[in-house]
Amino acid sequence: MSDGTQSAPVPPSAVAVDAAARWPLRLLEVPLALAVVAGVWQAASVVVGNSTLLPSPLRVLRALDELVRGDLREDVQASLAHLGIGYGLGAGTGLALGIVSARFALVEAIVDPLVELLRPISAIAWIPIAILMFGISGSVPVFLIFYASLFPIFVNAVAGMKEVDVQLVRAAQMLGASSRMILTHVVMPFALPYVLAGARLSLGVAWMAMVAAELTGSDAGLGWRLFWYQEFFAMDKVMAVILTIGVLGYLFDTLLRALQARITRWSLESSVDTAR
Amino acid sequence: MNAQRGWVVLAFFGVTLLGWQGAVVYSGQRALYPYPTGVLEAATRTVEDGSLVAATSNSLLRVLAGFAIGAACGVPLGVLMGFVRPIGRAVSPIVDSLRSIAPIAWIPMALLWLGIRGNAALFIVAYAAFFPFVVNAAQGARLIDRNLVNAARALGASRVLIVRLVVLPSALPAILTGARISMAFAWGSIIAAELAMGIKVTSGGSGAVGLGQLMVSTLYVRRDVNGLVLDMVVIGVISLLIDLAMRRLQRGLTPWRQT
Repeated sequence: MSDGTQSAPVPPSAVAVDAAARWPLRLLEVPLALAVVAGVWQAASVVVGNSTLLPSPLRVLRALDELVRGDLREDVQASLAHLGIGYGLGAGTGLALGIVSARFALVEAIVDPLVELLRPISAIAWIPIAILMFGISGSVPVFLIFYASLFPIFVNAVAGMKEVDVQLVRAAQMLGASSRMILTHVVMPFALPYVLAGARLSLGVAWMAMVAAELTGSDAGLGWRLFWYQEFFAMDKVMAVILTIGVLGYLFDTLLRALQARITRWSLESSVDTAR
Repeated sequence: MNAQRGWVVLAFFGVTLLGWQGAVVYSGQRALYPYPTGVLEAATRTVEDGSLVAATSNSLLRVLAGFAIGAACGVPLGVLMGFVRPIGRAVSPIVDSLRSIAPIAWIPMALLWLGIRGNAALFIVAYAAFFPFVVNAAQGARLIDRNLVNAARALGASRVLIVRLVVLPSALPAILTGARISMAFAWGSIIAAELAMGIKVTSGGSGAVGLGQLMVSTLYVRRDVNGLVLDMVVIGVISLLIDLAMRRLQRGLTPWRQT
């Protein structure tokens, strides 16, 4: 879900039914689907008959191969550096702000209106002013990723910490737990699934913001490379970069999803997506 | 929140705004940094010459068109995928792999295929709006009560009738959730697409200037920081309004659901 698309939480029963489908068949499904896409694409490119307008899948694969041996590593490295710095800062700040403002009412009274003011202004809208502030450079995507990943994790952290079962807190209090112990042993474990769901949403929007920012305001990275090749009308290479963006986005999301499922297996709410 | 804290917060924002204005005016760098009254000036100016309103309505029209295309393609496909399991299993890997591609990444291809007069941006928006519809419609159709379907079948309803009277109404809440996500996503994408076109294409796709292109010309031609902040505020307000409208639509169409 690198595009930030979300879906309603799935009840466990529905998942079980899907998973129960015969697995050898399911192993074939993905390659089969890819083969169909490649087939349709190949047919379309033959019909169009113009390798610039619609490069055939084989051509794109060859271009991809060439890129893997050439510039692609540099671009992926640049993009990952943007993503790492921006996401680390953004998700870290969002989480810290969320925890602090869920604990202290005065902080929340100041931070909450600010967040509600800024959140509707999508990261994309900051691109021109980021270009003005930082110039065309790697700082533009880093800033955008920072901004984009700030909000989902913040909202989810606040929601998670506030929806703690009061009974649990009272029980801990009655058993003589200090407020610090309640925070580390009751509130934080309760909020964890929410925070992880927020982290995944954050990464989704961050990925999207990264591509957009690199397209418009950067001098390195996968997004920037798209227009670089377009200048030469090397559309097979453009398609290869688009594919790379898709595959990497998919990988990241799968990774975080697996992490989420593993860390919070004990939780019924491991599929919460509260930041709608 | 009690009244006293309300005043503290109000005072905090008031002092921040005043301090911001004071700092910019005092530093004498009005051309470089935005400041509150400057944004207001920019607002009156761009509203008077009509450029802001025209650009906003162009962008909104594209979003609505892309949203409609996304819905028209996405909902039937999603319902089909959810209701007919084999189709769902066969198609969903394709949908998932295409969904992973950030819509904005298609912009070079879209420019090549559809030209710079706005259709490329439309393609990006439709692409962005498509997937939330598919995913949520599929989910909604998959999770419907099979007993209802069987009951309708037992009473002799045809397939078409079942889809129209049982499947669609049960999937409606999920579809509307998809619509809300889709709309928000479409609005973000149109700005991205227009910005990319404005920055990378000489003449900026001057066919119908949208908010994104307006921002590019505000940045590079007019060098007006306050105008940029104004555009951002407009973008934020519109996305708030869109979300509000979609929530109201959701409540109005599915009153039995409490969202």
